[in-house]
Amino acid sequence: MKNFDELNVLELDTIREIGSIGTGNAATALSGMLGCEVKITLPEVRIMGYNEAIEWIGGPEAITAGVLVRLSGEINGIMLSVQHLKFVNLVLEHLVQRTVEDYSDLQDLEKSALVEVGNIMISTFVTALSQLAGITVKLTVPCFAVDMQGAILSVPMVEFGGQSDYIMTIGADFICGGSVVPCRLLLSPDVFSLNFLLRKLGILDE
Amino acid sequence: MKMTRASGTLITYALGSCVGICLYDPMIKLAALIHIMLPLNMEAGRKNPMKYADTGIRETLKEMEGKGARKQRIVAKIAGGAKMFDVSGGGSLGTIGQRNIDSVHLVLKREGIRLLHEDVGGTVARTLLFDAETGTAIVRSYGKPEIVF
Repeated sequence: MKNFDELNVLELDTIREIGSIGTGNAATALSGMLGCEVKITLPEVRIMGYNEAIEWIGGPEAITAGVLVRLSGEINGIMLSVQHLKFVNLVLEHLVQRTVEDYSDLQDLEKSALVEVGNIMISTFVTALSQLAGITVKLTVPCFAVDMQGAILSVPMVEFGGQSDYIMTIGADFICGGSVVPCRLLLSPDVFSLNFLLRKLGILDE
Repeated sequence: MKMTRASGTLITYALGSCVGICLYDPMIKLAALIHIMLPLNMEAGRKNPMKYADTGIRETLKEMEGKGARKQRIVAKIAGGAKMFDVSGGGSLGTIGQRNIDSVHLVLKREGIRLLHEDVGGTVARTLLFDAETGTAIVRSYGKPEIVF
């Protein structure tokens, strides 16, 4: 059993490739929904302590929208779509022809649109992952929250905090219309699932 | 866990389902702030006791006593334990906040620490500030007025 901080270069590279394929598929789905070209930045795999993760995503108290889906079945984990205001407005502009100044302006219709976009991107990511590894993954119904991003990010931390002091995030930003739109898709598997996944892909160095 | 004496403000950001616990000895103005994530320490090696309600509170009380505080004088104020996401069929995901609150209550009671005030539960994240000079706690959350207690 390997913990997050014990992975070797090959294993990290494989996870990065999963992130690349997953995010690529999610970007295609997003592009279909919005009707515009969407590119992605080079996906990153990060293994971070809690405080480091919060700083990386932009400070604990910044407000953000998050769509969360829980993964079960052959692998357990949490997937989050962290949507900054720029991404929120990009989606709303294309889908409901309206933009908002602040998260507090979001009405039910807009929230529902954001949840759906998040859900479709997450589902596409997970479908790509399950096809790649030949595993079955079940997803829960998506849920939505607008709050301090430290607290949103702490959900996967707390869930797997009993196993590890580290969190693994796989994700990338989107590029749409020439500017970078930060929407981080974050996959946080638990330690057991990570090992199972690597074994399934035939690269776990035990 | 952070500790200070007589001056300064301790702060812990963005408590979601986590619970922030302020412990204060008013006589010597010794203040400690703990940010716990989980209710019970079941870790074999106990590498990080401050992550858990039970070991976090006990270790902190020990350290405070080492700095001259007396357990009989120490009082507590807590905040946090929210339910960030309402996951249907999410198992333990939605209940962890409440379990953290329950565990903190139980440990404080067992240790004989008086709980003066709390702002717990709900669905919003909180930032908790604790003033070592006065023993006042302030809770900041998104879209709500500040709470002082």
